[in-house]
Amino acid sequence: MEGTGRSSSWALFVGPYGVYLLVFLVLPFANVALLSVYHHSPTKIAVAGFTAANYTRLFELYYATLFLRTVRLSLIVTAVCAILGYPLAYLLARSTSRIVTLGLFLLIVPLMVSTVIRVFGWVVILGSEGLVNQALRLLGAEEGVRLLYTEGAVILGLAQQSMPFMVLPLLAAIERISPSLEEAAQNLGASWSQMFARVIVPLSMPGLVSGSLLVFSVSMSAFITPALMGGRRVRMVGQQIYEEVLTAYDWPGAASLTIVLAVLMLGLVGLTLRTTRRRARLESARP
Amino acid sequence: MRGGAPRFLWVLAIAVYVLLLAPLVVVIAVSFGATATFDFPPKGLSLRWYQAFFASPMFVRSFFRVSQVIGLWTALVATIAGTLAAIGLVRFRFPGRQAIETFFLSPLLVPHILLGAAVYLYLARLAWPTSSLTLLVGHIAIATPYVIRCVTAGLVGMDPRLEEAAMSLGASRVQAFFRVTLPLLRSSLVTGAVFAFIISFSDINLALFLAGANAPSLPVHIFSQIQFEADPSIAAASALQIVIVGGLILLVQRLFRLRLIV
Amino acid sequence: MAAPRGRLEVRGLTKRFSPQVTVGPLSFEVQEGEFFSLLGPSGCGKTTTLRCIGGFESLTEGSIALDGRRLHDRPPHKRDVGLVFQNYALFPHLTVFDNIAFGLRLRKVDRADIERRVAQMLELVDLPQVAGRYPAQLSGGQQQRVAIARSLVLEPSLLLFDEPLSNLDFKLRIQMRYELRDLQRRLGTTAVYVTHDQTEALALSDRIAVLSQGRIEQIGPPGEIYERPASAFVADFIGSSNLVAARVGRAGEDGHTAVETEEGLALAIPRIGDAAGTAVTLLLRPERFQMATGHDGEASAVNRFAARVRDVTYLGEDLHLRVLARDRQPLLVAIKNSKGTRAIAPGTTIDLSIDPEDIHVLRR
Repeated sequence: MEGTGRSSSWALFVGPYGVYLLVFLVLPFANVALLSVYHHSPTKIAVAGFTAANYTRLFELYYATLFLRTVRLSLIVTAVCAILGYPLAYLLARSTSRIVTLGLFLLIVPLMVSTVIRVFGWVVILGSEGLVNQALRLLGAEEGVRLLYTEGAVILGLAQQSMPFMVLPLLAAIERISPSLEEAAQNLGASWSQMFARVIVPLSMPGLVSGSLLVFSVSMSAFITPALMGGRRVRMVGQQIYEEVLTAYDWPGAASLTIVLAVLMLGLVGLTLRTTRRRARLESARP
Repeated sequence: MRGGAPRFLWVLAIAVYVLLLAPLVVVIAVSFGATATFDFPPKGLSLRWYQAFFASPMFVRSFFRVSQVIGLWTALVATIAGTLAAIGLVRFRFPGRQAIETFFLSPLLVPHILLGAAVYLYLARLAWPTSSLTLLVGHIAIATPYVIRCVTAGLVGMDPRLEEAAMSLGASRVQAFFRVTLPLLRSSLVTGAVFAFIISFSDINLALFLAGANAPSLPVHIFSQIQFEADPSIAAASALQIVIVGGLILLVQRLFRLRLIV
Repeated sequence: MAAPRGRLEVRGLTKRFSPQVTVGPLSFEVQEGEFFSLLGPSGCGKTTTLRCIGGFESLTEGSIALDGRRLHDRPPHKRDVGLVFQNYALFPHLTVFDNIAFGLRLRKVDRADIERRVAQMLELVDLPQVAGRYPAQLSGGQQQRVAIARSLVLEPSLLLFDEPLSNLDFKLRIQMRYELRDLQRRLGTTAVYVTHDQTEALALSDRIAVLSQGRIEQIGPPGEIYERPASAFVADFIGSSNLVAARVGRAGEDGHTAVETEEGLALAIPRIGDAAGTAVTLLLRPERFQMATGHDGEASAVNRFAARVRDVTYLGEDLHLRVLARDRQPLLVAIKNSKGTRAIAPGTTIDLSIDPEDIHVLRR
């Protein structure tokens, strides 16, 4: 699209939101970075002065375990979403547009509904007085099964929450693969699963990568889902940040956690952009 | 015999959809229950929990005075700011355009909890107490990228020669914009506004930090109710939200290719 | 490397898409080593037929057998049939080598063998240098050859071609045509070739099946299809033609029957048995007319008439003339451009003749 505007009036259009983000996005994070090196004081909350204590404490057992658990759960959720999401994305990609419209609708609505509502639904299903336990009692079990406040519940909740973030990029990637490639592979002797592994997966890899990145970041920074479905037993970084800001008033501590998580997210984004760009360059090279 | 996908894939796909939709279906079903317990299928149908919802001042206030109002204001401001930004990005050339576009879309990648914490701490430094206004501020930041994406897609798909044709017929640049471009962008604008509303209406992570202490948004109120006092009026509130969001998305799906935005 | 097999039998092949849209029933046989074309306009069902043989469409009715074994109920990856796609369908994420080796790897052929056979195949299609490149780095003609190599390396009994040359530009298409034919002859692999280009079908095939609206109009070698089309459709589709409505007249003594076109042009054709007054369609190929110079012998006295030129299309090698024979019968005439034709312009009158043997009769 050619630029049709005079060279200076672009500022009028781009300015408002640009300034807005500077004030309400960049400055807050700059403030957080600053806070993360302040001293924490129980009385004054944060005292100016340089200290690395907020970062070094992250290597202590409690925080290290917290991070490792968060990463581990996020990786599991990513794997679950990839395994369950790939077939779904493939089927949608190869379906008629009516089915795709319906399929997308059913995928996006849970995404757009507030997280609390989704989690509330799970609580009703998995709670000690919830549906699963009611069903078990009907079948004669005496004791209920504790389903909530387990890692399994958190993984389930996060997987449900993040699934659309995996399916949508995969869907876009698979749609770009011409069906004649599938037919060629089968004609050369590949069964459906061989064709899927050797043609669809390699060619939709960029979709898998961006989907995985999205799911991983959503899980890493999740708060409501682990808070309500995992409670104290299953703690993730999001819950820690929330507590340190609003309950413990350890703002420098919360700031350091925020910065670490933000840097991690940035790193992942950069990594995926680089890998997808390299691949795209290779596959569309001109002689 | 066709070499199609094996049968079990369809089973897997249905299972995934069951996973995705189960909580929502359960919530809606429970909201129509006649008893105070969470039964599925519900023992008896009644609207009592909806009545309880409307009878509860906190619920009504959080829904209509806070969430809905902030949602509408977010939609308005985000649409205006986002449309301006999209026009600037698509129709002009200037140094750093690519970088600025990435910057504008960055709130999509920033986890809301981090943004919420960051803005909260920042407001504390400025000694600015939280209120519906601060929540609005946060929502505008995260909703505008959706509008930018919608309008960008609409602009890119539009033939720029239409504006040129209008100008060759005597319209000034501004007139051409209002008479030709804007009407053609109508579906993008509506879609963007609807998404901005939904993002604001459904947000919880920002609201936990930025909502006024006495003016919780609907999701925040539901959150506290889940933790302290769970009765099926929560289900009624939730079901209402589901229906509103679902209805809006249905509307938008007719206007726009959703995949471009999410 | 010759494949002493590849006999295809198609019986009553029917594919019903909807009550109004059906392909078939079609029946035909392809002999070992034969180059068999399915020719017809778009929508005639040729691609559907090919895809049925390849296994990507299921038959509503009928059967397909290869070397006596049933083919139509086997999944596409278990048929011994190679398919060369119109858009080549080369795997963009694999090198040329890996593309060609794809099928071999699935069959667990060992490495040394794979390398040998791929190298051999690349030599055969005249692309020895490109093994390490990616499809996006090759030209259209090169991609086409890799696609063929990829199917051939598996030594299938039957090769299917789905309009493989239609994405190439004109000159390349002609060149590839010869190469394709040479390759097929050398390997002796049975080939079924789908195309809408009748020149291509004529040039490449041992036999052609002309299809229209889901049915076979005629099967035969190129000469027969061209010289003795079975129906007006075939006559019109292959080559250019003058299809003229006429009525049978009296039988003559010299082994000819007289006919008269609706426009009133009298011609002589080889004797036919139809009664006088029968309505027929005459096929006169434009290139079969000869320019009779004034003092030619009596050989051209039969079917000789004056024709006024209405317009001339200059095509370099040929001239296409639209004429009005005896001021009545519009005809399209194609003659070779030469010194003697320089003077022909709209308005001039020329003498034309046509051998009775060159007039083909189609029953209505």
